[in-house]
Amino acid sequence: MRWILLLCLGLSLPALADLDYALKPRLIAADTWLLEGSTDNFAKANGGNIVNTAFIVTEAGVVVIDTGPSRRYGEALRQAIAQVTPRPVIQVLITHHHPDHALGNQAFKDVPIGALADTTRLLHEQGDSLAENLYRMVGDWMRGTEVVLPTQALQPGVLSVGQHDLRLLALTGHTGADLAILDQRTGVLFTGDLVFYQRALTTPHSPGLAAWQADLDTLQALPWNLIVPGHGPVAADAQPFAQMRDYLGWLDQLLRDGAANGSDMAELIRSPIPERFAAINLSRYELTRSVSHLYPRYERAQMQRLDTRY
Amino acid sequence: MNWRLSCILACWLPLAAHAVEVDPVPSVMWAFYHKQLLADAPFVFDARVKLLAPPFAEDARQVPLEIDARAFKGHVVRILAWAELNPLPKIVDFQPKEGVLPWLALRIRIEQATPLRAAVLTDDGIWHVGSALIDAAGGGCTAPSVVRSQPGWEEHLGEVLGGRYPRGEFSRVRVQVAHPMDNGLVSGIPEFFINHGQLRGQDDQVLAELELFPAVSENPNLAFDIEAPGPTRLVLRDNSGNEFDAAIP
Repeated sequence: MRWILLLCLGLSLPALADLDYALKPRLIAADTWLLEGSTDNFAKANGGNIVNTAFIVTEAGVVVIDTGPSRRYGEALRQAIAQVTPRPVIQVLITHHHPDHALGNQAFKDVPIGALADTTRLLHEQGDSLAENLYRMVGDWMRGTEVVLPTQALQPGVLSVGQHDLRLLALTGHTGADLAILDQRTGVLFTGDLVFYQRALTTPHSPGLAAWQADLDTLQALPWNLIVPGHGPVAADAQPFAQMRDYLGWLDQLLRDGAANGSDMAELIRSPIPERFAAINLSRYELTRSVSHLYPRYERAQMQRLDTRY
Repeated sequence: MNWRLSCILACWLPLAAHAVEVDPVPSVMWAFYHKQLLADAPFVFDARVKLLAPPFAEDARQVPLEIDARAFKGHVVRILAWAELNPLPKIVDFQPKEGVLPWLALRIRIEQATPLRAAVLTDDGIWHVGSALIDAAGGGCTAPSVVRSQPGWEEHLGEVLGGRYPRGEFSRVRVQVAHPMDNGLVSGIPEFFINHGQLRGQDDQVLAELELFPAVSENPNLAFDIEAPGPTRLVLRDNSGNEFDAAIP
């Protein structure tokens, strides 16, 4: 029996030790470090590291933007920061309530965690079920992960940390409460998930595609010189905005035409995806999801009242 | 498999290249449902019955499902659909008559990842079984009703939204009926669902009979393809005896 236990232990320890995010911060602008995730879906192979997180090393301390998908990620992020600078983390900013951006909060309990008030409300309402779903998709990487709510309600305006004036914008297109951050010192624009680049956008809590398009106008008009999307590579040109607009416009038209032609949801999910979106990872998967999220509104807008009861 | 079935299959195979003997989806329940729902009648797994669902359920309470048996147009007697691992597996029993294509779209609830089946009985007495597999985070059958959380939902019971969409040879008729479709699995709320429907054409002749089960999502969405000229009437009844009537011009 003892031997069996030892054998089990011997076999399982290396398996546990393998769960290492191996986060490698990359300097993308002065004082500004990016941890770029893959553009894949949540999977046991990637531990949910499909998201971009970042930190800014200011004179006053470190500002962290999003904490990642799990406790393990949050802890790894904290260690990665310590590799780069001895300065303490003094502020966390959460861009929105989705689990890949906010479930690393446990590792930052000793720091003010700022978010828009509605982000905190949404995380309070949905956090547990969002986390449960990640446990299902990502497995053991999630062990010990629990929802930790933000402790500080952010207002739009300028937040000054050290020499960095961070302009905070309260937008809505992706989840109803989306924080974008422009570092006015470096010109780095952290868009959160208002911008996906080379990775299909997700719509589970979007108030509507028109609101999202309007947010893109707001963001693009800012004096940025580097875009850090929520998912996908950074860009120094406006290509991410162009791709977002193109994709959102196509999706909107697809749903509009579908409703006008009386297409069923199951048919729309199989719609051909234009060749120009071929480089966008997971577009078929996300189309399936987006049709489920958004199509009912398009359908209802187009249908007539038919009952003869009244 | 008994010898009679084998003979029937042997006769059929040369005709039906799409028919396969091997179950196309991993199922632990096929034999049970074959007996329970199809009374052990002769069947073939048949790719010509298209059961089209997304590979995963984004919303387990509203999973789109399309059943396409147009390959057997003119020979379809009945279409029976179910979700094998649902607590209440049966979805729909559809009997299209002259003038209605053997095609149906609707939305369903699923409780967990499950094989889905659409069995199509043709006039030669064989069930042609279309299959699909869907993944899900689950809980669609036991989630609290969205309809019931809206104050005054009773006032809207039986309201029908919809339309007719010309498609050349036929027209698509879609409806969405306001109804909670309670399946009895949510605590303290008994079964309350639309269980019967009839499509009627000109002069009130019956175009299709429809039996619905509480695996159908709340506010049921239904779509039919109809060759017969309009107007079309849809008459629905729930298990409390309420009747709902919609006229699709």
